[in-house]
Amino acid sequence: MNAYIQVKNVTATFHETTALDHVSFDIQKGSIVAIIGPNGSGKTTLLKHIIGIETPQEGSVCIDGKSPKQMRHAIGYVPQKFDFDRSIPITVYEFMALDRCGTDKHGVNNIDRVLKEVGAMGVKNQKLGTLSGGQFQRVMIARSLLHQKEILIFDEPSTGIDMAGEETIYDLIVDINKKNNTTCIIVSHELNIVHKYAQQVLCLNKKKICYGVPETVITPETLTALFGHGAGLYHSH
Amino acid sequence: MLEFLSYPFMIRALIAGGVVAVLLGWLGVFVVTRKMSFIGDGIAHASLAGIALAVLVGWAPIPVAVVFAVIIALGIYMLEQKTNMSSDMAIAMMFTTGMAIGILLLNAYEGYQPELISYLFGNILLINSIDLITIVSVGAAMVLLLALYYRQMLFSTFDPTGAYLSGLKPGRYDMLLYVMTAVTVILSIKLVGIILVSALLVTPSSIAKLFAHSFKQFTILAVVCAVIIVYVGLISSYYLDVPSGAMIILVGTGLFICSLLYQTLVSQVKKG
Repeated sequence: MNAYIQVKNVTATFHETTALDHVSFDIQKGSIVAIIGPNGSGKTTLLKHIIGIETPQEGSVCIDGKSPKQMRHAIGYVPQKFDFDRSIPITVYEFMALDRCGTDKHGVNNIDRVLKEVGAMGVKNQKLGTLSGGQFQRVMIARSLLHQKEILIFDEPSTGIDMAGEETIYDLIVDINKKNNTTCIIVSHELNIVHKYAQQVLCLNKKKICYGVPETVITPETLTALFGHGAGLYHSH
Repeated sequence: MLEFLSYPFMIRALIAGGVVAVLLGWLGVFVVTRKMSFIGDGIAHASLAGIALAVLVGWAPIPVAVVFAVIIALGIYMLEQKTNMSSDMAIAMMFTTGMAIGILLLNAYEGYQPELISYLFGNILLINSIDLITIVSVGAAMVLLLALYYRQMLFSTFDPTGAYLSGLKPGRYDMLLYVMTAVTVILSIKLVGIILVSALLVTPSSIAKLFAHSFKQFTILAVVCAVIIVYVGLISSYYLDVPSGAMIILVGTGLFICSLLYQTLVSQVKKG
């Protein structure tokens, strides 16, 4: 069976520093894949290559036989950081309705539904800049759910969200994955999340350390290769 | 009381002022959101090269300045995109280069050039019928473009990655915004002057930001503030017999200070 997303030999260098070193892996349609690695290991850079806003210096990314740019309408993305001036008065509704001028104009009809799904309906008319970290993250997730995307990419989606909220978010991701056969890629630091929700995990530290079923590939040796000496102890807990 | 309306130069200034106020107020919302308030200054100062060239060879200064400003705006955009330069670095680079070319060109001109002083500080007497037709027709085209592409420009301004994933080409709208800002700044030069024009791009949005609860309100309030500032500035400059550009900017600053004080007072009262 051909893989839905094929990452082949992707290499990225910024100012002579290697961010990704010949990374290759395949993702099957409808699966949930986690990416783990220390800070600066190239996780966000890899996501940028998958959504097509970065082009690899070497290698290629292929989605359903097409380039990421050609498939961009099928991708929903929740970035790790959303940089904006918090004093700008834009409401949550206005922010979510920005999508109205995109190729799929009907998604904005779903604003109320997706805000309810992530538990953020109460902030619909609030200014985006006044939201707490957790509320903001929920809004970002809600926005990625506006359209029925074939691929959803979450860069540390539970940042700033409390434990109960975190569970809700991941349950929601699994629910969408099952209901619509959506391929989900999640960057996470938390091994319990990876074990609980991901079918495959990519361990990345500029190059691929391992890729496979979490229970099989996450070992004390892998964790040491990723996070350094001492990290392997975490595995026993 | 309305005797100023009997003077054709005031009528021309008020019509031209209304058009540029709407444009500067509207575009200012994007400029402030992008944190690139310096762009108006950069383009206006760099356009001195175009004005100096036109004066030297005897061409109409505004069309030459428009061409120069568009080149400068695209230069800033390309520097930002193709190099690692930040917006303010790219603007500063183009700003000083344009000014330097302008100074060299002016150096080649023999004798005093009173018209150039008017371009630096603004002079409503400078706006002739041809200028008015240019400002109204180009301004109307730009308002139409803004109305057509407002959402796309906002999406590209606020969330370029989201805009890209929605199938838009954010770079195209960024470029459109830069070019429109450049053209509007040049259209405003005769009214406000090279040195002061950027304030009219930023001050209305700064006032609107204090009161707006949504981006829609922010945009409408910025446009309304810009129109009020320009009209109060123009009319008071007529009665006080002072340069229009400086008066317009001081009215804007006064309105901003009053708004800030009012906001502070309201929040103090709310706190109890």
